[in-house]
Amino acid sequence: MTEETLKMQPRDMALTVLCPGLGHIARGWWSKGALFMGLLAVQAATVGLAVSKHRFAWLAGPSKYWISTTLMFILLAGIWVWAFLHLRHAIRMSTENSTVCTYWQMAMQRFSHDLKGIVGLLIILTVLQVALFAPFFVRSDPLKMDLVNFLAPPSVEHPLGQDNFGRDVLDRLIYGARVALGIGAMATLLNMVFGGFLGLLGGYFRGITDSVIMRLLEIINAVPFLVLALLVISMWGSSVVSLMLVLGIFGLGPARIIRSEVLSVRETDYVLSARAIGVPTRRIIMRYVLPNAIASLLVVTTMSIGVNIIVVAGLSFLGFGVRPPIPSWGAMLQQAQEFMRTAWWMAVYPGLCIIFTVFGFNILGDSLRDVLDPRLR
Amino acid sequence: MTGYMVRRFIQLMFVLFGLTVLLFLLLKAMPGDPAKVMAGIGARIETIEAIRVKLGLDRPWPVQYWRLLSGIFNGQLQAMTYHKSVWTVILERLPATIELGAFALALALIISIPAGLLSAIFRNSPLDYAVTTAALMGISIPVFWFALMLMMVFGVALRILPVSGRGVSVVIPYLGRWSFLTWDGIRHLVIPAVALSSVQMAMNARLTRASMLEVLRQEYVNTARAKGLRERVVLVKHAFRNALAPVVTNIGLQVGALFAGAVLTETTTAWPGIGRLMVEAINRRDQSVVFGLALFMAACYMISYLVVDVLYAYIDPRITYD
Repeated sequence: MTEETLKMQPRDMALTVLCPGLGHIARGWWSKGALFMGLLAVQAATVGLAVSKHRFAWLAGPSKYWISTTLMFILLAGIWVWAFLHLRHAIRMSTENSTVCTYWQMAMQRFSHDLKGIVGLLIILTVLQVALFAPFFVRSDPLKMDLVNFLAPPSVEHPLGQDNFGRDVLDRLIYGARVALGIGAMATLLNMVFGGFLGLLGGYFRGITDSVIMRLLEIINAVPFLVLALLVISMWGSSVVSLMLVLGIFGLGPARIIRSEVLSVRETDYVLSARAIGVPTRRIIMRYVLPNAIASLLVVTTMSIGVNIIVVAGLSFLGFGVRPPIPSWGAMLQQAQEFMRTAWWMAVYPGLCIIFTVFGFNILGDSLRDVLDPRLR
Repeated sequence: MTGYMVRRFIQLMFVLFGLTVLLFLLLKAMPGDPAKVMAGIGARIETIEAIRVKLGLDRPWPVQYWRLLSGIFNGQLQAMTYHKSVWTVILERLPATIELGAFALALALIISIPAGLLSAIFRNSPLDYAVTTAALMGISIPVFWFALMLMMVFGVALRILPVSGRGVSVVIPYLGRWSFLTWDGIRHLVIPAVALSSVQMAMNARLTRASMLEVLRQEYVNTARAKGLRERVVLVKHAFRNALAPVVTNIGLQVGALFAGAVLTETTTAWPGIGRLMVEAINRRDQSVVFGLALFMAACYMISYLVVDVLYAYIDPRITYD
């Protein structure tokens, strides 16, 4: 076997991400590929069995929930970890055998050795998994009240206790992950689109465009973001959509970073020569400027999802965010404040969920910065 | 330097003016009629109309805007729901926030700077990992939850500290209506100050570490070591001072973050400062107070930003403006 066949091509790596084993088959390693795909099928079937209607009907008593849920969680996590390990293997195969590496290949290889980033990624994937499969993890409707057992402490039936309406805290936390990740990710996406666009315009065209954009940013930055968000939300009324829009439109932090990145890229010789041979501006931005800014954009995105999750929780805590019947971590804390003296379980767990999630995004962002910008190491 | 400062000051005025327009438009677009809130539920239409006329809400927008703007500058603007002038309301609440902010910042600096320095000096040691992990944890913790936990542990469970409020404060007659801290006040201060300082502490520790690592890579540190200075002298005299410059100047930029943190911390711990006033005023639809307070916060932030820029030139002689 020559060196060329040992090397995993980018196409095969992409296939491996799509489905473990597919990349191997594409390379012609049939037996290995079939083994991986077969294992995946077994795993998927087990998960399917676990989440089916009569899940674990043969178990009895309160331990039923614990065993079935834990098993399901491990199986689902297994798929993620497995896909990740394959990707890492593919990256190593593709870089260790080749003499020339691209920037992204080098970054991927550094990332695969960085424990911090991997832990962060696993935390995020865990929360994502809980959010995606929320209906399978809860035992009852998170809005179902049980007024006889209001403020009941943690028990085997309700592992994290019940709130002031007798709703199960664990079930509400699980659905809260959807709200937190959903709003956090959507708001950050909007941030990137608006802020990135403004930063690109200002940095590339400079002059009057740049000054107008920078003054606008200064005006918006002068007021603490939380206060501005409070004002705008009290104006638009608090709903999930208005939260996303407010955070998305007014959180213009990325603009500054993109602008400074663009400013330095546009002075490079290759942009100058592209301009000299008459490449149109739009093409210069798309082909030369944007790809160079992607690395810092990626770091900012990761970090600002965490920040947005905290801001959403803060707004909900003040009563300006997600409305109470929808289970969200911030709103749960707001309710818990009233029952601080009697029901500690209402206050402790939502906060731990926020910390866990935001910590994941923060360490991933930290690690991405180390990986993508070797100058800072 | 003077020319630079004048230019910056004009710029500051320009930004504040833009902000007044933005704030006014936001306030006018806010749903809910302040007059209705003041008149109460079930008030007659005539009463509401009378209040509207009294507050000047029936006038055209440019007139209302001018009233707000001129009222802020000559101090005559009356709060809509507090029966005092806007400045009185803000200045009454300000000392509490200054106490809280100053204590929180002091606490953050006392702990974070040594932590950051040690973590940079003993890089990749267990201590370094502990500090960086703790700092990452610190920026992930929501301040209001941390305040709530402290209240539950030290206030409710252990009964060492008062749960909430500001406690007894003293009003000194000749200094206007400002109220000052007492021993009881200090005991009340502990929980909100610790909670508020957590984020600043984490950010400062990260910054100090990064800055110290940067300095330790410089040539002059190598030179100092090469000429045989003791390690302690190299660290304290050559590295430490230079590493501290960005940290000190960054304090000014944290004023905005402190205000935002104060809104959450003060609401959680019932601390009667301007952060809580902001939430109150928004809930009461008191447009004058919201307008004045937002402008005040922005002005504080921008002035501290300017001061830091000027200070930077003094600390680091290599930097000149103009």
